[in-house]
Amino acid sequence: MDFSFTPEQLALRAELVKFARRELNEGLADRDRSHAFSREGWSRCAAMGILGLPFPKEYGGSDADVLTTLLAMEALGYGCRDSGLIFAMNAQMWAVQTPIWNFGTDEQKRRYLPRLCAGQSIGAHGMSEPDSGSDSSALATTATRRGDRWILKGTKTFVTNAPIADVFVVFATTDRSRGFMGLTGFVFEKGVKGLRIGNPIEKMGLRTSPMAELIFEDCELPSDALLGREGGGAEVFSSSMEWERGCLLASYLGAMEHQLETCVEYARTRRQFQRPIGKFQSVANKLVDMKVRLETSRLLLYRLAWLKTAGREAVTDAAIAKLYLSESWVQSCLDAIQVHGGYGYMSEFGFERDLRDSIAGRIYSGTSEIQRNIIATQLGL
Amino acid sequence: MNPEVQREIHDFLVAEFALERTSIPAGENLLATGIIDSMGILRLVTFLEERFGFEASDEDMVPENFTTLEMISAFVERQGKR
Repeated sequence: MDFSFTPEQLALRAELVKFARRELNEGLADRDRSHAFSREGWSRCAAMGILGLPFPKEYGGSDADVLTTLLAMEALGYGCRDSGLIFAMNAQMWAVQTPIWNFGTDEQKRRYLPRLCAGQSIGAHGMSEPDSGSDSSALATTATRRGDRWILKGTKTFVTNAPIADVFVVFATTDRSRGFMGLTGFVFEKGVKGLRIGNPIEKMGLRTSPMAELIFEDCELPSDALLGREGGGAEVFSSSMEWERGCLLASYLGAMEHQLETCVEYARTRRQFQRPIGKFQSVANKLVDMKVRLETSRLLLYRLAWLKTAGREAVTDAAIAKLYLSESWVQSCLDAIQVHGGYGYMSEFGFERDLRDSIAGRIYSGTSEIQRNIIATQLGL
Repeated sequence: MNPEVQREIHDFLVAEFALERTSIPAGENLLATGIIDSMGILRLVTFLEERFGFEASDEDMVPENFTTLEMISAFVERQGKR
């Protein structure tokens, strides 16, 4: 395994860090307080080519490979303090664009991908329901054929980007007798008859990424809204989750690196009892633990990218990486607050926002408990 | 149908997914009853691959191969003929 990057990849990383610091962080504290999404930041990221990174050039993308894409998301995590914006972009790129790219018809790819890559449209992905979270086989939303149309009934909840979305990828059951193998994916635009978007949902963190319910009241979709084959929804959903996990984790990696550097600088300059606080072992040890978590996280993530690039099966590795990086990001936030003492607890310094944002990582894209279940299964337990 | 293959799969399903039961009828819909769900399919396929020495592809993951014990057994036996 060789995890060295080319000069071009490193230049891209440096360029994205500079861009993110300059263009994405202004006014964040106010946006966090008011739960406001930055459409301007979104457009700037699209103009930088971030939203199109791994997608084919013919659909407005850049044809970037897995490692380059991860490195770009890592750079964004390092330079951009607006975790909600990064989360919203990831939600679109991996859970909307990727399924369309992998399973869409040529017509669907042509219709949706160029606008999504260019930031002209925003995408949302609906899977979770009020009574179905981790257990995707318990979906209650149904899709039935009526003539040349599909009729959707049900409610999707925790839908990131829903209040601002133009394009939706949604999963419903078309054959309950087939359990999770009876799921089917659909892609369609806002404005379809019978689709109602609920009020924005307030959250503990990631407040700059808007979220709402989607309510389908005999919602009529045209026959060409089918995404992939009928009954192939589990496959469509799983493929997007693998990308989503990897790339969301990459942004945690960048954020942890930035946090460690900030803490080291503080520990070297903040003096108590006539010496820098970093000279006290209890503080230094926290920073060492942050460093060890950062580097082990990096190895897990790059190894996952290496396996995916080689076309190897990576179920266990993806679960280990998701579990370890999301838990490490939470612990890194707690340590950063502790190292900064009273200042760390104050909103002005941003560490409490990072902590609120980080908690979500233990829940979305498969909870830490589900990742442990997957690993246990792979151990034959 | 190889009864030995079907018995081994049956015993695995009972031991792993239906602890409160002693048997699963060969024609019972395992997907509709939730005996096999999206997590369980991972465990089942890992078991089948290791025990019967083949590698399942994405195209194999369809209800026609996993809805009943009979279908799973037939799917495993087809692997030997590939």
